[in-house]
Amino acid sequence: MKKDTSNKIKLGIFISMGLTVFIIGIYFLGEGQQLFRSTIRISGVFRDVAGLQPGNNVRLSGINVGTVDNIIIVSDSSVRVDILIAESVSKFIMKDAVASIGSEGLMGNKTIILYPGTGGKKEIENGDIVQTITPLGVDDFMNSLKKTIDNTNDITDDLAKITASIQSGKGTIGRLLMDQSLIRNFDSTVVNLKEGSAGFKLLMDKGDDVDELLTSLKTTIDNTSSITGNLSKITDSIHSGKGTIGMLLMDSTMRQNLDSTVVNLKESSAGLKTLLDKAKASWLLWGF
Amino acid sequence: MEPRIRIRSITREKIEENFLASVFGKFFIEVASLASFTLRFFKEVLKPPYEFNELLKQSFLVGYKSFPLIAITGFIIGLVSTIQSRPTLANFGAVSLLPAMVAVSLIREIGPVITALIFAGKVGSGIGAELASMKVTEQIDAMQVSGTNPFKFLVVTRVLAATLMLPLLAVLADAVGLLGSLVGVNLKGHVSVSFYFSQVFQALRFGDLFPAIVKTFFFGFAIGLIGCYKGYYANTGTEGVGKAANSAVVFASLMVFIIDMIAVQITSLYQN
Repeated sequence: MKKDTSNKIKLGIFISMGLTVFIIGIYFLGEGQQLFRSTIRISGVFRDVAGLQPGNNVRLSGINVGTVDNIIIVSDSSVRVDILIAESVSKFIMKDAVASIGSEGLMGNKTIILYPGTGGKKEIENGDIVQTITPLGVDDFMNSLKKTIDNTNDITDDLAKITASIQSGKGTIGRLLMDQSLIRNFDSTVVNLKEGSAGFKLLMDKGDDVDELLTSLKTTIDNTSSITGNLSKITDSIHSGKGTIGMLLMDSTMRQNLDSTVVNLKESSAGLKTLLDKAKASWLLWGF
Repeated sequence: MEPRIRIRSITREKIEENFLASVFGKFFIEVASLASFTLRFFKEVLKPPYEFNELLKQSFLVGYKSFPLIAITGFIIGLVSTIQSRPTLANFGAVSLLPAMVAVSLIREIGPVITALIFAGKVGSGIGAELASMKVTEQIDAMQVSGTNPFKFLVVTRVLAATLMLPLLAVLADAVGLLGSLVGVNLKGHVSVSFYFSQVFQALRFGDLFPAIVKTFFFGFAIGLIGCYKGYYANTGTEGVGKAANSAVVFASLMVFIIDMIAVQITSLYQN
């Protein structure tokens, strides 16, 4: 009998222990989902919730302040997300607060991120609808990435064409890099320059020869100078209408006379042609 | 003699004649007998008088007495699964997710199933052997003669005790398993108790805990019922006792997995 009582006590302790652990578990799970706190419900309308689920956390300044309560499709392009937020933090969230959908980590759950809004506005109340920012989904990201890849493909194609042109010696850069004759010309130019500089150096080294060269050069320059001086005088004369060529080119009276002479000659030749034609037709000159 | 049992044994003999040496026949006979046994349990459980004292005694034996074994197993499972999961998560740089991952797997699946399997091994075989030895020594017949309903006294109390105690054991195994996981996390790092449990409860949802606890009721019921069935209908002779104990464990363990599969399918309908 005593043993039975002892066993019953032990059983009672065991059952109490199990139930206590269960209740503690329930309490902490509920606490995590704001079940045992006074909360306010606010909503946000998103175009795409990116896999958000009821029960996901809501964060304000990096702190979990609530949970997603419900997600309802309103239309084909809008999804309403109801959020439960601890009433104690509602004073930090203003009417112009913005909600966005983020991620708890690379592999983590989705989460709602609340931006509290500007100070001075009224604080948020139960039933309010906050503004939202549509998150950049993986698909959007992939589309953007695809555009970048397409552009990169185009660029690399162009680069390939350019390098092919350069390789085949087309274009300025191609000829510059690939044309052997140009390279040979360049080489010979360099060689000439080198030889020239060597010769110049040799001349510099032979001081007497340089003097002779300079004297000869001076004579040539003097001659060239006198020739250009004479040429200048001739052109001046021509310009001022002196001399036959000058009158011919510059005297307007002579030009007019020459023009009229040419006209007279033209008319005379025409008259002569007519006369000759008539003479040919005359019976007096038959046989000629 | 109890008429119901007599009718059943006659039916069984007749069927065995028709399905002699037929494996399928034996299987369906077993299914039919178990269904009949289950039906009888539900009829008897509602009918007074209620054997509360025997229920408490059996609860003490199957619950309290099983706790040390299940606590040790739970602790080791929590510890080992944490140590084994760490390298994989470390490859992704996600070691900080270790408490959450182990907690979810422990609460959802490992805790209830391991507890049920240990329970089947300890309690299922115990009930099977106990009832089989009572059958062999004709104690069940003696109870019937003395006016006690042996089914109500032996079967109903044991099945109820197993059904009620296994969920409690599973909850405690989960708790001890989480402690084992805490030790595992701290073997190669430092995570405070409060931070560990905050991460655990952040990762868990009611949807993880409730289906897991609900299915342990079914596990306990199946283990108790199969243990009693195998013992109650054991063949005469000492060989029958061993056979009953053995087949009770094997069949109960198999049923645990089948129920688990069904429960997971049903749960997944309501989860993503």
